[in-house]
Amino acid sequence: MEFENLKSKNKENLIIKKGFVINPQTQEKFEADILILDGKISKISKDITHNNADSVREINAEGLYVCPGFVDMHVHLREPGNEEEEDVESGVRSALRGGITSIACMPNTMPVLDSCYLIEYIKIKAREINYNIYPVAAITKNLQGEVLNEIGLLINSGAVAFSDDGRGVQNARLMYEAMRYGGQFKALFILHEEDGNFSDGGLVNEGYYSAMLGLEGISSLSEDLMVQRDIMLSKVSGARIHITHISSAKSVELIARAKAEGVNITCDTTCEHLFFNDSVLTGYDTNYKIKPPIRSEYDRLAIIEGLRNGTIDAIASDHAPHLLLEKNISFKEASFGSIGLETLFKASLTKLFYEEKLSLEKIISLISLNPAKILNIEGGEIKVGSIANIAIIDINNENIYESDNIISRSKNSSFIGQRLNGEIRYTIVNGKIGFSNN
Amino acid sequence: MDKKKDILSLDEFSVEQINEFLIQTESFAEILKRDIKKVPALRGKTIINLFFEPSTRTKVSFEIAAKRLSADLINFNTSSSSLRKGESEIDTIKTINSMENDLIIIRHSDSGYINYFAKNVPVPVVNAGDGKHEHPTQALLDLYTIYKNFTNLKDLKIAIIGDILNSRVARSDIKLFNKMGMDVKVVAPSMLMPEDFSSFKTKFANNIDEVISDADVLYMLRMQFERQERKFYPSIKEYNKFLSLDMARFNLMKKDAILMHPGPVNRGIEISGEVMDIETLNKDKIKINAQISNGVAVRMALLYYALS
Amino acid sequence: MREKATVLNSDDIERIIKRISHEIIERNKGSENIIFIGIQKRGVPLAKRIKENIESLYSSEIKLGKLDISFYRDDINEKIKSDVNITEIPFEIKGKDIILVDDVLFTGRTIRAAMDAIMDFGRPKSIQLVVLIDRGHRELPIRADYVGKNLPTSLNEFVEVKLNETDNEDKVSICWI
Repeated sequence: MEFENLKSKNKENLIIKKGFVINPQTQEKFEADILILDGKISKISKDITHNNADSVREINAEGLYVCPGFVDMHVHLREPGNEEEEDVESGVRSALRGGITSIACMPNTMPVLDSCYLIEYIKIKAREINYNIYPVAAITKNLQGEVLNEIGLLINSGAVAFSDDGRGVQNARLMYEAMRYGGQFKALFILHEEDGNFSDGGLVNEGYYSAMLGLEGISSLSEDLMVQRDIMLSKVSGARIHITHISSAKSVELIARAKAEGVNITCDTTCEHLFFNDSVLTGYDTNYKIKPPIRSEYDRLAIIEGLRNGTIDAIASDHAPHLLLEKNISFKEASFGSIGLETLFKASLTKLFYEEKLSLEKIISLISLNPAKILNIEGGEIKVGSIANIAIIDINNENIYESDNIISRSKNSSFIGQRLNGEIRYTIVNGKIGFSNN
Repeated sequence: MDKKKDILSLDEFSVEQINEFLIQTESFAEILKRDIKKVPALRGKTIINLFFEPSTRTKVSFEIAAKRLSADLINFNTSSSSLRKGESEIDTIKTINSMENDLIIIRHSDSGYINYFAKNVPVPVVNAGDGKHEHPTQALLDLYTIYKNFTNLKDLKIAIIGDILNSRVARSDIKLFNKMGMDVKVVAPSMLMPEDFSSFKTKFANNIDEVISDADVLYMLRMQFERQERKFYPSIKEYNKFLSLDMARFNLMKKDAILMHPGPVNRGIEISGEVMDIETLNKDKIKINAQISNGVAVRMALLYYALS
Repeated sequence: MREKATVLNSDDIERIIKRISHEIIERNKGSENIIFIGIQKRGVPLAKRIKENIESLYSSEIKLGKLDISFYRDDINEKIKSDVNITEIPFEIKGKDIILVDDVLFTGRTIRAAMDAIMDFGRPKSIQLVVLIDRGHRELPIRADYVGKNLPTSLNEFVEVKLNETDNEDKVSICWI
């Protein structure tokens, strides 16, 4: 397993031989070679021969799938402020390990990403290591839910979207004004839906298991009410909204209805919510303590159905690194969140391809093309002329996921101990091999 | 080396084991009737009473139980302050481990903490109550009290009344009583019940009057104001009207029915002062003090079991 | 465990009970001051038989207690027996002549424990010991006052006592471990 020096400026030309290319845009799979020159895809066809053998590095992709690099639209990098949990560089290595070539990072850092210089800081960091990071700015100052941020200026500085992730804007009027104003700039709002009156003090899904385990519940009403509110606000304001990490059956239903009515809405779910139900909580393992909580099997099946029928547009990791001492304590005291960059593809493949029989093209769309489109960024496609962001994957591999395998600085993964399918063989970012694993 | 005998919940015990345990407890109750109430059974054993949450009854009950069996018991009180999350608790566990001890009795205000704790210590751990989750020794002493009174447990009608949502006693009792084939009904207002209580496998009522003249055992829970993080119940007056046991209701109880409460009773909330004051005259019916003395025998038996 | 030989049958046991009854009466000059305490489990039915035999001879009522010695064992660090039988001595033992009854006398440790337990109930005038079988190998300075049968054994043998009350037959046999 190898990571390239992220800061090196060396460019090399690449040729990927004999892989199966997946193009989510056309939902096609075909065998072809791909030639990458100067960081861009210059040719896709069978049996490409090249003259200058020395200057082109060859990748043998026989038996492997060549996909657009994955796009994770919900990541917590923890920099600035909590670098002991993760920083930009360690987070990027973790993303590379997961075949991810572009990430959107959330603003709940210390200080909060609510000013132009911090957005620029992240962009500079990303450029230094030749990686695609799209910072999401806070909707309200310091995520306090009280004062609206400088949406216009932040967009100019490079904010890809706006989110008060971690809590959500509780004040409906403020959210409404944010949407109305954001509309002037065609801003995208990534909404964490949680009604604090329902969730405060809660630890896990309110239901059969919370009752049994004596753990305070968080009713799915906490999410559903806010989803409904924001659909209404979007309808009136016309703002472009994306509901992140949806967890409940009712939310899926509400969003499906809103889409049918033409509301400008998209949504994602996380690997945890499509993979687990709340029966996993019986051992009080704090790695399953996430927000929104892992819900019932009924909800999980609705999430799967939403992915299948297109109601849910994307899968994100909600990569949330935490120190061991924030997880190796009682369930009540433990922090919410699981890391997920490295398992985004594997968990999706395991559950959706092998169990639920969704097509590989569909799954790749959910973690590349669709999030790229939602964020309105480059990516999600393999076509001549575009920048080479590529993940080369092996779908036949199968392993128990262990804590020792984790690249991220934090080890709090819900997937530890799970049998997962799939492996990333190469991650190519902006024409450079960032990670290889043979 | 045998697996250490943690007693975290009663889930692992079969009906036969529970029955056997009830019989065995008699042998320990006998010691308490002697002039010299002490046997050398656990001489030289060190037991740590680790309470992360204030408690008087359970702590003292375990202390007496250990001393009646000649074990050395050390009280270790600590507040689970989370100034710097995690650190204090991990350090406490390390401290406890480095003291020579044979068994740890532990109480903590967080559900499931005991499971985490038991994984990190090499000696048997006895759960003296974790959050809203389990209180297995209370459930056993409750069962023993009922067993002493009725002998045949099957199909006994028991009503558990009060704050089910926040009660570990209720959770442990419900599981144990169900296991023993008793007919369990819980009585609570909607906000003091979990939204989905199907895991309890019990019947349900909202009002004490629905069960008062039918139950063989009336089990009143303490209104756990200290454990209610979300307070939605309107008032004591409202509680008295629909859920409390007053004299008029006491008189409606079946002739052979008994009244129980895990203590301490909030006089005038779950049970009226009037009813509490007639306990000494109605020992056949009001078993609240019997529960306390039975608790010592049950805990003796449990300590002996855990160390054998 | 494999049976090697039968040592006592039902008739033998009955004869022994009768003989010991007489010995007790003779030594204590009657039955006025004696009480019986049987050690759980098989000492209890043996004590009951002797007691009833004496009662039938002298038509006086004699008290019988049951004693479980689990709580007094000296080997708790190696093993604590987890099944405990009931102890029942609901009468005054102070000043009494206690006839302590057990089935087999071996190392003497059970009897040591029983004597400690009895002392916690009060100060008897004397304690006399009845055993059905004395198989030798004492580890403590203890001897029986009344012995049904002396049975020299080796340490890899085991004496199995069965009684009607507990095992549905009266029989003592010697077994290989």
